[in-house]
Amino acid sequence: MSMIGTTGVTGGAGRADAMEALGADEPERITGRIGRVRRVLRMAAPVIGLAVFFLAWQYGVKVFDIKKFLLPRPSDILSTLNGDKSFFFRMARTTMWEAFAGFAIAFVAAMVIATFMAHSRFIERAVLPLAVLIQVTPIIAYTPAIVAWQGYGFKSIIVVTALVCFVPFLINGVTGMRSVDANLIELARSVDASKREVFFRLRLPSALPSLFSAARIAVGLALIGAVLGEYFAGSLSGLGYTIKVAQNRRALGLNLWGAIYVLAFIGAAATLLLTVVERVALHWHSSQRE
Amino acid sequence: MSEASPVATVERDRAELLVSVRNVTKTFRQRGGNVQALQRVDLDIGRGEFVSLLGPSGCGKSTLLRIIGGLHEASSGVVTINGLDPDTARAAKQYGLVPQAPALVPWKTLGQNVRFLTGLHRGAAAHPVMSDAEIDGLLETVGLAGFTKAYPHELSGGMQQRASLVRAFALGAPILLMDEPFAALDEITRADMRYLLLDMWGRTNTTVVFVTHSVTEAVILSDRVIMMAARPGRIASDRQIDLPRPRTPEMEDTAEFHETVRMLRADLREFHR
Repeated sequence: MSMIGTTGVTGGAGRADAMEALGADEPERITGRIGRVRRVLRMAAPVIGLAVFFLAWQYGVKVFDIKKFLLPRPSDILSTLNGDKSFFFRMARTTMWEAFAGFAIAFVAAMVIATFMAHSRFIERAVLPLAVLIQVTPIIAYTPAIVAWQGYGFKSIIVVTALVCFVPFLINGVTGMRSVDANLIELARSVDASKREVFFRLRLPSALPSLFSAARIAVGLALIGAVLGEYFAGSLSGLGYTIKVAQNRRALGLNLWGAIYVLAFIGAAATLLLTVVERVALHWHSSQRE
Repeated sequence: MSEASPVATVERDRAELLVSVRNVTKTFRQRGGNVQALQRVDLDIGRGEFVSLLGPSGCGKSTLLRIIGGLHEASSGVVTINGLDPDTARAAKQYGLVPQAPALVPWKTLGQNVRFLTGLHRGAAAHPVMSDAEIDGLLETVGLAGFTKAYPHELSGGMQQRASLVRAFALGAPILLMDEPFAALDEITRADMRYLLLDMWGRTNTTVVFVTHSVTEAVILSDRVIMMAARPGRIASDRQIDLPRPRTPEMEDTAEFHETVRMLRADLREFHR
């Protein structure tokens, strides 16, 4: 008798929960014609924003008769890129490689140090002021010093790039590793789980959302680092080098803008890629829900 | 009727001592002096017993639970679990903990979550963990069978807490430590959860130490209710609950139930003036 009563209760609760669970996570379905229009508008909004910007640029230059070396039209910039495809491709490859290498080195170094910091308040307190110093000192101020130390070329560029990317990864890594639910840590302790298990199975996955935020910031910083490095380290290739050459010869404004466009494209593409990876990897996290 | 109910099938030998707490004191150091969280606590719990620690906040009931579980250390006194000290028992995976919040791992599915603790510190358990079929049976019992692929954020609070219960049972540990597991649930869900818990407990030969601040909850669940008092935290009374098993929602309307609740409320008044 009691069993029947109990299972009855359970079944009822299960059904109610099923409906609740389905309703809980899905935003109110937008239906009907108005709903469809709203959905299309939402998808189209970024495209419309960009289109308006570039059209205003294109025709603004014409209407206000701005000199080409001051501000070329987007169409001229695109045809410059198109006309010298292999050159821009080579320059982009150099800069992307530098940015990626610096980004990756910063990530690995930051994760190692963040692991120590997450496990010891003392180390955290000892390292933090240094991290803040690195962050608040303008990278451009000590880039010449790095070049003097590491010499002209690739190595200096990588050091500069890694330095600018390092702090966001470090700070967010520590914050993320510390963000594990205290109840989960206690549960792990209740079965005497090792520190290693707690780290790999709880702390590291918990740090992923903040690490993705850091990566978004670091994409832009890595490109800054690479361009800046090329500028100071006597590089003979790359988009920073292209910009430097263009600046020295006023007439080459189109190459300058070509390099800017390529840098913007690389940054946007990397960010988009990150967003896609994040959406898959963090489907469980509240940041991925509307 | 009773042959359909596995509740009656597990023989409980209450004479066998499982948990022994002797003269345990716990002092927390705080700014402005020491706080006596527990003072000279003595408690015996037999194998298979369902014991509630009942009392207002600050009476040390959660602290006592954690000392039994080896999560806090007693300042003085001795705790043994089946002859082992709590740390050794913890290392041998003798405890299934159910915290107040469900605390599911957000990036794991419900099916993975209920096996999460089993997968940690693998190989340490001196007792058989639940088989996949047994775990599926428990999920069926608590109405979660269709949700094993769902992630915690897709489940309601009640469903998450049920998963948390299954996770503790899945360890196959002889002692379950529950720290106000239903406190955050709404009253209707909470009422259902009590009988689900009794159902699961009836199917397994486990001992439950259950912390609560609800008198009715303690009475409907427990074989024994340990009333605790605060400042300093201590055991005020220890009452056997003689309501027959299995317990049913209908029992909450009987005179016997009301009389037991009345008695405990009188204890509460006496010790918490």
